[in-house]
Amino acid sequence: MKICWIGCLLMAVCGMAHAEPPVDNSPAVRLADVYLRDVKPVLRRRCFSCHGALKQESDLRLDTAAFILRGGFDGPAVEPGNPAASRLIERVSATDPSQRMPPEGAPLTAPEVAAIAGWIKAGAITPDNEKPQDDPRSHWAFRAPVRPRVPADRAANPIDAFLAARQAAEGIEPLGEADKATLLRRVYLDLVGVPPTRDELRDFLADTAPAAYEKVVDRLLDSPRYGERWGRHWMDVWRYSDWYGRRAVPDVMNSYPHVWRWRDWIVRSLNEDKGYDRMIVEMLAADEASPGDDNNVVATGFLVRNWFKWNYENWMKDNVEHTSKAFLGLTMNCAHCHNHKYDPITQEEYFRFRAFFEPLELRQDRVAGRAGPGPFQKYVYAQSYGPIAAGLVRVFDEKLDAQTFMYVKGDSRNRMEGKPPVEPGVPNVLGGAEFLVTPVELPAEAYYPGLKPFIRAEEQANAAAELSEARQTLAKAQELVAAAERRLADLRAHAVQPVTAQNRPTREALVQAEQALLDARLTYRVDEQHTAQAAARGRALEARILADDALYRGAGDASGLAYAASQAEKQAAWEEAELRVRRAERTTVAAERKAATDAAGKPEVEKTQKELADARAAADAARGALAGTSNTYTALSPVYPARSTGRRLALARWIASPKNPLTARVAVNHIWLRHFGRALVETPANFGHSGKAPSHPELLDWLAVELMEQGWRMKAIHRLMVTSRAYRRRSNLGATEHPSLAKDRDNRFYWRANFRRMEAEVVRDSVLACAGELDTTLGGEELDPAQGLVSRRRTLYFASHGEGKMPFLDLFDAADVCDCYERASSVRPQQALALVNSDLTLANSRRLAEKVWTESRGVSDASSSQAQFVRCAFEQVLSRPGTEEELRASLDYLAQQEHDLAAAEPEQAGNAAQRARETLIHALFNHNDFVTIR
Amino acid sequence: MKTYYAGAHPPSDVPSGYPCGRLARRAFLADLGLGFTGLALGAMLERGGIARASEAEEPHVGEAPDGRAQFAPRAKNVIWVFLSGGVSHLETFDPKPLLNQYAGKTYDETTLPNPQKLPIYRERSRSVVGFDREVISKIMPLQVGYQKRGGLGCEVSDWLPHLGGIVDDLCIVRSMYTTDNDHGAEFQFHTGRHVLDEQQPTIGSWISYGLGTLNENLPQFVFLGQYKDPRVKKDFEAHYLGPQHAGVELSLDPQNPLPFGVRPAGVLPVEQRNEFAFIDRLNRLAAAEYPDDDQLRARIRSYELAYRLQMSAPETLDLSRETQETQRLYGIDNDEATAVYGRRLLAARRLAERGVRFTLVYLSDYGEWDSHTNIKEFHARSCGRVDKPLAGLVSDLKRRGMLDETIVVCATEFGRTPALEVTSLNKAGTGRDHHPHGFTVWLAGGGLKRGHVHGATDELGFHAVEHPHYVTDIHATVLHLLGLDPRRLAVPGRQRLDMDFGRVIDDVLA
Repeated sequence: MKICWIGCLLMAVCGMAHAEPPVDNSPAVRLADVYLRDVKPVLRRRCFSCHGALKQESDLRLDTAAFILRGGFDGPAVEPGNPAASRLIERVSATDPSQRMPPEGAPLTAPEVAAIAGWIKAGAITPDNEKPQDDPRSHWAFRAPVRPRVPADRAANPIDAFLAARQAAEGIEPLGEADKATLLRRVYLDLVGVPPTRDELRDFLADTAPAAYEKVVDRLLDSPRYGERWGRHWMDVWRYSDWYGRRAVPDVMNSYPHVWRWRDWIVRSLNEDKGYDRMIVEMLAADEASPGDDNNVVATGFLVRNWFKWNYENWMKDNVEHTSKAFLGLTMNCAHCHNHKYDPITQEEYFRFRAFFEPLELRQDRVAGRAGPGPFQKYVYAQSYGPIAAGLVRVFDEKLDAQTFMYVKGDSRNRMEGKPPVEPGVPNVLGGAEFLVTPVELPAEAYYPGLKPFIRAEEQANAAAELSEARQTLAKAQELVAAAERRLADLRAHAVQPVTAQNRPTREALVQAEQALLDARLTYRVDEQHTAQAAARGRALEARILADDALYRGAGDASGLAYAASQAEKQAAWEEAELRVRRAERTTVAAERKAATDAAGKPEVEKTQKELADARAAADAARGALAGTSNTYTALSPVYPARSTGRRLALARWIASPKNPLTARVAVNHIWLRHFGRALVETPANFGHSGKAPSHPELLDWLAVELMEQGWRMKAIHRLMVTSRAYRRRSNLGATEHPSLAKDRDNRFYWRANFRRMEAEVVRDSVLACAGELDTTLGGEELDPAQGLVSRRRTLYFASHGEGKMPFLDLFDAADVCDCYERASSVRPQQALALVNSDLTLANSRRLAEKVWTESRGVSDASSSQAQFVRCAFEQVLSRPGTEEELRASLDYLAQQEHDLAAAEPEQAGNAAQRARETLIHALFNHNDFVTIR
Repeated sequence: MKTYYAGAHPPSDVPSGYPCGRLARRAFLADLGLGFTGLALGAMLERGGIARASEAEEPHVGEAPDGRAQFAPRAKNVIWVFLSGGVSHLETFDPKPLLNQYAGKTYDETTLPNPQKLPIYRERSRSVVGFDREVISKIMPLQVGYQKRGGLGCEVSDWLPHLGGIVDDLCIVRSMYTTDNDHGAEFQFHTGRHVLDEQQPTIGSWISYGLGTLNENLPQFVFLGQYKDPRVKKDFEAHYLGPQHAGVELSLDPQNPLPFGVRPAGVLPVEQRNEFAFIDRLNRLAAAEYPDDDQLRARIRSYELAYRLQMSAPETLDLSRETQETQRLYGIDNDEATAVYGRRLLAARRLAERGVRFTLVYLSDYGEWDSHTNIKEFHARSCGRVDKPLAGLVSDLKRRGMLDETIVVCATEFGRTPALEVTSLNKAGTGRDHHPHGFTVWLAGGGLKRGHVHGATDELGFHAVEHPHYVTDIHATVLHLLGLDPRRLAVPGRQRLDMDFGRVIDDVLA
């Protein structure tokens, strides 16, 4: 939930205003330099956004001294030599806030005004060749990327060619390739999010073929683990969140239950290497692009996730902000209250963008094998809604004629007067002029899910089961009647015997038997009617299905079949009313019988008699309804509009078009960031004027074009990146100084690999994977984070939402579900405590120690086994052989630990060696090299 | 990739310009030998009262702070008490006798302008649910009496006799307002932003970010409290400052003082000590291989700190080390009404004593003060729970000489309406509704006036009219007393508004 405010940056910088140095009047400083040093920076910060290339309020520009002298509607802004008569000074020093410039934020400080005045007084000398601000429309990111020529280089990989050209220009010498073990662990963690096993490490170390590494890369990209690893990355960017609001109540307010189907779609799509263009279309508009396709409509979880029950204004706001940031790297949100201060985006264009989403509502569809969730409940003030038990959540266009109005300062309470609603559209600077929206006619199954074969089949099966059960019950009832008849006949036969006969029944026994027979007959009547009712319900279902086929698929006489369905439902309703009558008869008889011996039962008799009378009246009414001529019948599911506006589809296609200058660049930048530890554009969600310029613009463009020409398939880009020399470089300098360090200590030019800390999920998954305990089941409902330290499932499947996530993950900088275009990476003591004291590392260390020891023991003597254990442990946990020094330290440690444990608990001395080994594994999980990608 | 450290910045023994691998290997290893003391260096300088940057110097907007106060601080740390649900200002510190006179009348029926029809009514409130909450109701008389208390005769309600007894040490701000008319205002009080807007770091996290530690064995920012509703976490999140600046939840259960903070059952002390030493040895071996890896250096320190944290937290939170007399002062003795909150505040004092910068004490259940009905009963009860412990805290700090360097803030998210709340469910009207337009908070301690009342609401207690203050003015004031200027704490790429910075309330400064 974000909002951009007027002149945010203006305010952020005004704190430094008083720091402006005083004007230096020494002759050594040329007057034009005074302007450039003391005046222009103030104007740039405070004035250019309204009086520059982007906007020229009052026809005035202040971005060059010449423009200042020329002035605007009100004439020149300054009068050289006379500050007191200069309008610029008059306006910035006005005491009346309505007259004072700038209109927002703090006024200019006295030293700032003094600097401007000093320059004017000295004659307002203009510098030579001063260049005006560039036209914001010509900003690099707003022009489509063109594949640049790859610099001549021996490297096969164009990435290296581009980087080498820059390194050569800067005189920077890159490092060589990392050792094989380091490289293997790096590429495993990057592509699949878990380290290699010891066998995989050994195989790779033994494979001397030239393409051994490439072979590994291909295998990893084919692994389903790839989709999970990169799915989590994209879940950050696309703000995946399970539902939240007030979970404790429970009350669903943000996102929605079962949005995990979108997460599974992400993983699946990446594993299938679905084109990124297709993914965008499906996330924004799968319901319009491929209506009826339930496997892909869940992708609209991207929009569902922004849903906010209490306030749809906010849903719209988040849709605009995060669609534009995620796919376009555009801060559209800054134009919510006013025109964008840096980019050529007007407030009207903001609202045009919003109009794409205006018709939206949520829908919860039934899924096979689970009871239907019922229709989506719209919010009623102060009511809480718990999560649905099952269902498929998605969006659809509900309000086809929804209008979007502009709000003064973005406040929905203040609709702009006299301003007609805006049409959906995209910013002009990005080619919005030619934008076209075409409504989409939906296939019947898409707007009426009741046609889906599985719903019909399940309904039919339910009806058949009910009927069959009713028949069985009836058969039993019939047997009970027969038995009761036999019993009574038997008693009667004996009753004709003389009074003295021993087995002559008592009068009470006879009465009881008669009553039992009556009860059995009454029950039979109920069950008989239940059978009739179930049969009628089944017939009604079939009639509804026939009528549906006629209505939605043109199969037969629609009105006749609708009438038949209506009649069949009425028949079933009548049968059901009759069933209630028969039940009421039974309870009435029972109540009357009870009252005959107990006066206290009288009120119950009255009550049951009343119920019986009501039931009879209802049955009469139900029978009477059969005479009606209505054609209405109950649908098998909610029915939604048969048409969708096509607005989102048009938007999605525009975003995913090769002509869009931003989409591919933003995507490859995200991928690059996650392979190289630093983005080419360091503001991945802001490619506008206030974002950072790319460090390697040509490389960025080349990769963007490559992505598009590879059919937007990401695996090709991953392969290109991780097989580059740049990716494969060493990260360690060893002990020696390196000349490149002095030139580029921040590694801006990629002369070495960056080391990075694992993301939270990778830490947890890797502990499990190293111990051989990771459960590789893919997908499914969100898991309970409380199980996080004992469950063996992969981390991305645990619930994570605005109200919380697994505390272990939080400590390792897990994604903020509301905003995470780039992960942070902290180092702090609570991480150490989590790795030292948690069940996760403790239990897995014990398991792993057991496994490794089983392999290493008995190699030869005890001390060689111990050494073998240490060697295997390093390979298993850190995916590299231990150094000699490390092995020595480890053996010392084992001896010391075993000794101390035995001394501390002599009765447990027999276990001391095993325990010491467990703590060694545990210590390796706490090694900095474990959480670090080298 | 952005990397953050346990402190706001790389350890302070790192020469400027690091990381750059310029250190020779030997120098690096020797430096590691400094071990833990290095981390506390900045703090020790700060403790010595050295304020490096004067206000006249060019401020480094967007640069990570160096852990030292930006100008001479008046206080070292903060105990920030929060009462959740909305405390009625009208029944605690802001008496409005006119309410008794107009009881039963609508706002329109008074001789005063209807406060709901003034432009500031709309400006200062924004609904989370998509429409305004209209209150058409009758004025409710005061539910409790007031007396002039203390030497200065400040009026405090009869529900707060103990606080009344120390009112001469308090600085009461009666002119607060906020803009959310629902309980999102609680988070707004800590972040400065309406819940519908972009979220910001909380006040505690800014202080953690801005100032170096005074005790390397304890977290900078602590949360003390219990809650069932996880949204309470929003009061101590750090957002873009990074989780290392979020409040660390400490528990008064000595068996489990902080998350993952206890040696697992069955692991012996010697066993864990050996392991920590071994981890340290392995990491130092790796450090020779990666001499320019500042993350590794920070991790080595983080293990030292972790070990100390685990050792010192239980001692810090062990209240049995306090005398019976002290415990009684906080109402911990046998009185279940005050014991729970008394313990929390006593623990907060112990944390402040040991140098924790900011302790957020959650002195209520979530929403406890939200008296839509039966305000008389519920507010009297809640007042009874906090009155003695809070007064005890202030008295205890004062007698220990800590009140000069510790700031106590006692706040709530909004006040309560001068009118009765009447709804379809509750036609009788025995409570007051949410009221963002005017409410009271109080402060006490280092650098603040004592026995002072600042600002005022109108005659009905509706709008804050005299010196109105948005919630971030309290933030600005507290930051100022700690020697920080919020404008100089800005983070690059994260834009803040004027409203986020707030304005220092000069009139409350001593």
